[in-house]
Amino acid sequence: MSEAPARVVFTTGFSRRYTGGVTEFAVAAKTLRGVIREMDKQFPGLAETLAEETTVAIDGELYEIDFLRPIKPGAEVFFIPRIEGG
Amino acid sequence: MNDTVVTDSVKRFKWVGTRPIRPDGVPKVTGKALYGGDYKVPGMLYGKILRSPHAHARIRSIDTSAAEKLPGVKAVVTSKDLPEQKFDYIGPERVAQNFWHITRNIMAREKALYEGHAIAAVAAISTSIAEEAAALIKVDYEVLPHVIDVDEAMADGAPLLFEDMITRGIEPAPTKPSNISKRLEFKLGDVDAGFKQADVVIEKEFKTAAVHQAYIEPHACVARCDADGQTEIWSSSQGHFQMRALTAAILKKPVGDIRVYPAEIGGGFGGKTITYLEPVALLLSMKSGSPVRLMMTREDVFRATGPTSGSSMWVKIGVTKDGKIVAADGIFKFQSGAFPGSPVMNGCLCAFAPYEIPNQRSVGYDVVSNRPKAAAYRAPGSPISAFAVESVLDMCAGEIGMDPLELRHKNACRIGTPTIQGPKHAHDGYIQTVEALINHPAYKVKLGPNQGRGVASGYWFNGGGESSATVQVNTDGTVLVATGSPDIGGSRASMALMAAETLGVDYSQVRAIVADTGSIGYTHVTGGSRVTFASGMAVVNATKSVIKDLCRRAAVIWDVDPEGVIWEDGFAKPAGSNVGDFEPLSLKALAAKASATGGPITAAASVNAGGQAPGFSTQFCDVEVDPETGKVTILRFVAAQDVGKAIHPSYVEGQIQGGVVQGIGWALNEEYIYNDKGQLDNPGFLDYRCPVASDLPMIDAVLVEVPNPAHPYGAKGVGEVNICPPMAAIANAIAAATGVRMTELPMSPPKVLEAIDAASA
Repeated sequence: MSEAPARVVFTTGFSRRYTGGVTEFAVAAKTLRGVIREMDKQFPGLAETLAEETTVAIDGELYEIDFLRPIKPGAEVFFIPRIEGG
Repeated sequence: MNDTVVTDSVKRFKWVGTRPIRPDGVPKVTGKALYGGDYKVPGMLYGKILRSPHAHARIRSIDTSAAEKLPGVKAVVTSKDLPEQKFDYIGPERVAQNFWHITRNIMAREKALYEGHAIAAVAAISTSIAEEAAALIKVDYEVLPHVIDVDEAMADGAPLLFEDMITRGIEPAPTKPSNISKRLEFKLGDVDAGFKQADVVIEKEFKTAAVHQAYIEPHACVARCDADGQTEIWSSSQGHFQMRALTAAILKKPVGDIRVYPAEIGGGFGGKTITYLEPVALLLSMKSGSPVRLMMTREDVFRATGPTSGSSMWVKIGVTKDGKIVAADGIFKFQSGAFPGSPVMNGCLCAFAPYEIPNQRSVGYDVVSNRPKAAAYRAPGSPISAFAVESVLDMCAGEIGMDPLELRHKNACRIGTPTIQGPKHAHDGYIQTVEALINHPAYKVKLGPNQGRGVASGYWFNGGGESSATVQVNTDGTVLVATGSPDIGGSRASMALMAAETLGVDYSQVRAIVADTGSIGYTHVTGGSRVTFASGMAVVNATKSVIKDLCRRAAVIWDVDPEGVIWEDGFAKPAGSNVGDFEPLSLKALAAKASATGGPITAAASVNAGGQAPGFSTQFCDVEVDPETGKVTILRFVAAQDVGKAIHPSYVEGQIQGGVVQGIGWALNEEYIYNDKGQLDNPGFLDYRCPVASDLPMIDAVLVEVPNPAHPYGAKGVGEVNICPPMAAIANAIAAATGVRMTELPMSPPKVLEAIDAASA
């Protein structure tokens, strides 16, 4: 039985700019690198934007972009604008 | 009285959670600690920056010839000496850097955009000669109309800082330029439908003043460039790797040519995450061939370094009679200063974050005006929007007759609550802060005439990211822990505590230091409440590597397999079939055998730490308002904060107390006062009124410990969220005391008195 794909989500503003307004994708990948690679196949050049300009929330937990970060089957992978503090 | 509320899942440790004496205490209290301005190197020159007296002026020409001829002057630089940069926003939207702007903030080019904007710099053999030379520089200005206030800057016909600036984030793009650099919008659910479900809807406009981070130590650095381009910089900052990166980019030098040494830092609060002086000092050193020191005066700090944004806001919230928040809407207009880049996006994202609100919208505007470029300040953006939101929530609670803590408890976010930016909350902690105050004995104390109690909450993301650490075991068994994180909030103590806990040795055996950019791996700034979490992970990982190595060395000494050794309470002990065969080996004993077992015992670790939990704080304060003068006296202030696990509770309490006190200053007194020429009239601590000890009661810090499972000891960032609630808590307390709703900061005595008089008229 194949594993459930990750649910990849973008904000409305981000999707308007980069994914033709589509905010959600089902992506089969075991690592964050895999997610980004699959998205780049659909939208060439998107990998660099995701790696450079976003923070990712995996099932709500915030991470800086780290290609080796594992993605569990069925995880929600939400790319959001990167945050920094004072 | 400070207090700690512990959840069942918090583990007890031997060292983590204790309060040893701070390792940086002795040099600081004896005046021996070396700050940025204390560094001297042989042959050093003294720099002086000439600053614009005008808020807005075109620079027709700069004549430096008289300054250059003055005996003792070794170099003069202007913007012509800085390489031009491409106009390009680089990196994530919230923190996008545009070096075309940055180089113009370092030194004005076409225009001076605020009073205090750097125009030229001089290096000379003495400070007095440098000052004399700076005064000889002739600048031909065409003075232009200026604009300071955010609403005025957004109005049609306002003087434009950049004649070609088209607002980003609006489709289709506007055809006319304006001072609005960017518009943002975040949305969840259906706001209009949500308001239709509400029994009570309250909307209000608010304004906040720009306030400075007010760190005690002015910016200072020394830069030295050799003939081969090799460069050393000594500076006080929140990130020496950041200073290296920015200096390299601004001057287009290889990063590898620059080594930056961290000085002790006399406060930063976000304002020392960016550079003002380092590239200029280095440029002067490159031109003169000598090391150059640049130091700001207090006036320079106020006139030319970032405060946080002032703002103009509108917030509307709808609740049902039984206290359910059904809709929330907000417009947040933030000053960014003379160049784009306010924390308005944070303000939008944090505004309603503590609550489960099915329908919400936040719209933000980033607006330039003739003020110094805004810089990060403790939870940048969040305290500003919290003032508006938490004030309106208080009004909602009053309207439906519900206790304000009960209203917050009823709507508290939990794990799984959606956020306006999309992902669901992954951590608890907020509701526990509300419960800590509901159960606090002082919340039930009756108040007297002219006294009132106010409640507010706050949210901050907290940070993770890149950090590096090394752990070395010295030959006598003592341990050196090095990180790349400047110690602002006690990180040397917390790093040593975590290393001691992991190793199982006495805290007194561990010494923590801050290593320079040439001596440790890249480490991101001390900011975003990230250091104890991220650098702490690096320290624990490096310590675990050392433990693995120590077990291997014990195995060599015992002639057993490494798997036959375990590490326990600071000793290598035989395990499995080896149990009882050998006497345990202490760290000291193994350190003594280091040479024979493989050489020095050391390990390094680098992380890109993730899984950080956000910060939540809920606070209440009691105030007394003098109806004759409008003066607000803080009688009591209780601040509960989810801290994960307090590694060094005294430092954590200090962070909470410090954040609250800065919030009290923001609420009651702090503001920039500009004259009609756009010049700052209060650039010093006598006239820019920060709270002092005699203004304040002891701040009661309540540590709520809901550990973060992503950190080895449960730590969460603690440095920032504490500044988010005080402004609204105080405004709500004033409303309770007087019946008057204050909507503009600071709530200084004249303004409070005016509001009381207007209400009674």
